[in-house]
Amino acid sequence: MDGTQGSIYDVVVIGGGVVGCAVLRELSRYDLKLLLLEREADLAEGISKGNSGVIHAGFNAPAGSLKARTNVAGLALMYPLAEELGVPHRKTGKLVVALADEDRPRLEELKAEGDRSGVPGLEIVGESEIRRLEPLARGRWALHSPHTGIISPYELTIALAECAWQNGAEVRLEAPVEAIAYGAGLFRLETPRGVFSARRVVNSAGLFSDEVARLAGIDDYRIFPYRGEYLITDKDCGLRLGMPVYPVPSRDDPGLGIHITPTLEGNIILGPSAEPVEDKRDAASTREVMARLKAEAARLMPELGRTSFIHSYTGLRPKLIDPRGKDKFGDFVIEESAVRPGWINLAGIESPGLTAAPAIAGMVAEMIGAGLDLRKRPDFVPERPRRVRFAAAGDAERAARVVQDADWGEMVCRCEHVTRAEVAAALRNPFGARTMDAVKRRTRCGMGRCQGGFCTPRIVEILQDEGVPVDRITKRGGGSRLFYGRLKG
Amino acid sequence: MMAERIETCDVAVIGGGPAGLAAALGARRAGAGSVVLIERDRTLGGILNQCIHDGFGLFLYKETISGPEYAERLIEDVARESIKVEAGAMVLDLAPDRLLRVNARQGYRLIRAGAVVLAMGCRERTREMIEIPGTRPAGIFTAGSAQNLVNLQNLRIGHEAVILGSGDIGLIMARRLAFEGVAVKGVFEILPWASGLERNVRQCLMDFAIPLELGSTVVEIRGRDRVESVVVAKVDGALAPVAGTERAIPCDTLLLSVGLIPENELSKRAGIELSPLTGGAVVDETLMTSVEGVFSCGNVLHIHDVADRASFEGFAAGKRAARFAAGERAAARTVRVSAGSNVRYALPQLLTAGKAGVEWSFRVTRPMRSVSIEIKGRTSGRIYARKKFPRLLPSELQKLKVSEAIEEDIEVAGHE
Amino acid sequence: MSERPVVDRLTCVLCPVGCELEVGKDAAGEIQVQGNQCDKGLPFAVEEVLHPKRNLATSVPLGGTAARMVSVRLTRTVPREMLFPILKEIAKLRPEAPVRRGQVLIPDVLGTGADVIATRSVA
Repeated sequence: MDGTQGSIYDVVVIGGGVVGCAVLRELSRYDLKLLLLEREADLAEGISKGNSGVIHAGFNAPAGSLKARTNVAGLALMYPLAEELGVPHRKTGKLVVALADEDRPRLEELKAEGDRSGVPGLEIVGESEIRRLEPLARGRWALHSPHTGIISPYELTIALAECAWQNGAEVRLEAPVEAIAYGAGLFRLETPRGVFSARRVVNSAGLFSDEVARLAGIDDYRIFPYRGEYLITDKDCGLRLGMPVYPVPSRDDPGLGIHITPTLEGNIILGPSAEPVEDKRDAASTREVMARLKAEAARLMPELGRTSFIHSYTGLRPKLIDPRGKDKFGDFVIEESAVRPGWINLAGIESPGLTAAPAIAGMVAEMIGAGLDLRKRPDFVPERPRRVRFAAAGDAERAARVVQDADWGEMVCRCEHVTRAEVAAALRNPFGARTMDAVKRRTRCGMGRCQGGFCTPRIVEILQDEGVPVDRITKRGGGSRLFYGRLKG
Repeated sequence: MMAERIETCDVAVIGGGPAGLAAALGARRAGAGSVVLIERDRTLGGILNQCIHDGFGLFLYKETISGPEYAERLIEDVARESIKVEAGAMVLDLAPDRLLRVNARQGYRLIRAGAVVLAMGCRERTREMIEIPGTRPAGIFTAGSAQNLVNLQNLRIGHEAVILGSGDIGLIMARRLAFEGVAVKGVFEILPWASGLERNVRQCLMDFAIPLELGSTVVEIRGRDRVESVVVAKVDGALAPVAGTERAIPCDTLLLSVGLIPENELSKRAGIELSPLTGGAVVDETLMTSVEGVFSCGNVLHIHDVADRASFEGFAAGKRAARFAAGERAAARTVRVSAGSNVRYALPQLLTAGKAGVEWSFRVTRPMRSVSIEIKGRTSGRIYARKKFPRLLPSELQKLKVSEAIEEDIEVAGHE
Repeated sequence: MSERPVVDRLTCVLCPVGCELEVGKDAAGEIQVQGNQCDKGLPFAVEEVLHPKRNLATSVPLGGTAARMVSVRLTRTVPREMLFPILKEIAKLRPEAPVRRGQVLIPDVLGTGADVIATRSVA
């Protein structure tokens, strides 16, 4: 059980998304008593799992903005970080394609913006080079960004938190902050899991960062949720996309346009759209947008008009832009509150938040260091052991693992070839995340073409073996239970 | 990269359900020396273990019994022959040279087989594949998954259910849930006819006053953490939802019975040619696939409605596999078989020229009355076989035999 | 259970022909059957409409555990209205392992002449 009540923490981070976990890990370099509070039953339950998984180069935001600066700084940090943490990733490059000549000037604008921000390697290329770089892409001209890459955003989030944890940070799940009091230089945070006091608080609560700030008496922000819908192809659809391909972005699009992105596994992601919604929790997919995703994606790659999809998901962007207003651009908010010194707000962290996360974490550390004494831990371990995947191992390694532990010989997920050993390891994570989705995100069970049809009954058995009672088996915590007891007995 | 040694066997059967059990028996009885039956579940039986209702065995045992009983009889037969049973073992990879990579608690091994029989069965079509809009709450199950959780783990999956799809699995589960006190608010079927047996519509729905709505589908799922309701609507001739016909049905469970898909991931790894019409391998009259020495049977070849027929296919495939392993080689398969009007598919899709007495399995595309099914030569126009049926449904797998030898490409078609 | 319709349509399952039968009640309350091509269709339809018979299958937990199940069915069909009363009887069962396939768990349940038998063996 983490988060001892009554203890005083140097820093509490509110929000277990990629940014919150990046901050936690950065701060765990120092001799600080750290706690992260996450409202949901696992980390990365917000926008950190509902995005395209792209490591952006940084030319999409206006030069000089926080978005651009943290993106470019984050890009330089991201690849070494992913290596250190053993998070699979790939520097794929990216193409922004102009289907017609008249769109070329927009590409040149993007390049100019990127050059101003110090984005490395940008170049405008023509049709034959487009074909050479990505045989499946279509376009007259394209902006090629060689340093863009792909990564699993939730694997990164979990790895950051695990690294922080192994360096002494604490994490408490299912702990939404419900009330905040301030006195004697301490913030007192009330959650259903206990009351925690902190000298400094980092508000990284994503969609709910405005509400959390208001609990602290800070009413400077309003978050407007913009939903993005996605579709994912079957790995076996016969289409191999090497790099993300984006359309020329429209100035009015609150997102980057519906694009296509490969995953490390070989799927292709279509999306996202960008619609303002009323309810921060409205994560539904809609018929109209799914049709639009296919139509727009087919413009970039006609073959996608005829392929099969295995999954759809959505992500709700925490935007600071009022959809009824005229502003089209909203920058990141990364600041210590003037009314509440010691309280740091990270608000409106939408794209490129994933890439910017390590840089944002560095900025937060500096802000913390301005007030608290930061002494480096001599025993800080930056690496986190890479998760072992049986499916990716060769014959000799597989044979050895099964001999070592028979659980490696028991297959649980037929589609993704995940073994019981991996499921058990996922369930024994240090944060106590024991939902079906927690298993899914750590092992890939349920991400294959049968979407959990085969493995769900297996995982249900394993959860019980690992001590989770039947009525506590949920998809993602809260009321998302799968069962209502036994039928008989 | 290779494990220390490669084991060998004459015939390897992948999958221990109704087809695989039969294939192992068929191979052994045809004289194969070493037959290995590899099943990924802890026990043999495959899907039969969870099909506790009766209706199995009418053709194989001349009586109707439940799935588990049917399975046990075959399992006992298998135990009596010297067939090496490997339960809890999963084949992760099959190479075209018939090298299998098998993982089990007892060890990870490589096996080279003289012949292979694919009997891996099928998987269920998912919510995501039919792209039902809405949220992704808990409480959405495919019917087969739900059947496993209910019948084998004694779990109450919900209190009020809606079922999408009127295939037999959905109908059987409607009854099962009704037996266990789960309110089934309705079964919705997108086509204008029920996919499952009429007998099941009577005994699973009408008996329990569960409404069946044809020409309807689920157009949205609502609920944040758990299903709270589904929105259903009528569909038009193009199967698109008709605006204005939507209505919300409060429920906490949605069961999907929207189709079975042969599970050919291993077949793809081995480079086996698959038919887009069946979802399974392209085979000849010996049930051999496009890869030498690899045979296919049961639901992985094409979806069956009667388990006995999957077993008959298994016996045949096993026998052929044994012969192949013993060195027998067939002549070239040069005759191509295609599906003509009103026929969704005809199997086998290939034929050794000059072969006589071959029987084809086929399905029609829609319910038909007073229909004549013909097997016709594509060059000569000659009718090799014709059979009249008073009624044919897409859900019925039917057969038609040609007694004479065929040398030209043929087509199987139906006319009313 | 549903109210008996005045006109019922059903397919006879006694042989592969599958005659489509239409069953109605005439003014005198007599059952009329049409569409059968042989004699067997008549009693089949009458029985299905007046005294439908059904089998049932369910599973029961083994004694001592709520998670290990043994599937059961009846050895013959019973009047449809007996299904739920029989389910209630079956719900009381807690057979102890080992159980053999075909083992009678409740003989002549509720006097219907049908036994409740286990349909799989459990060690």
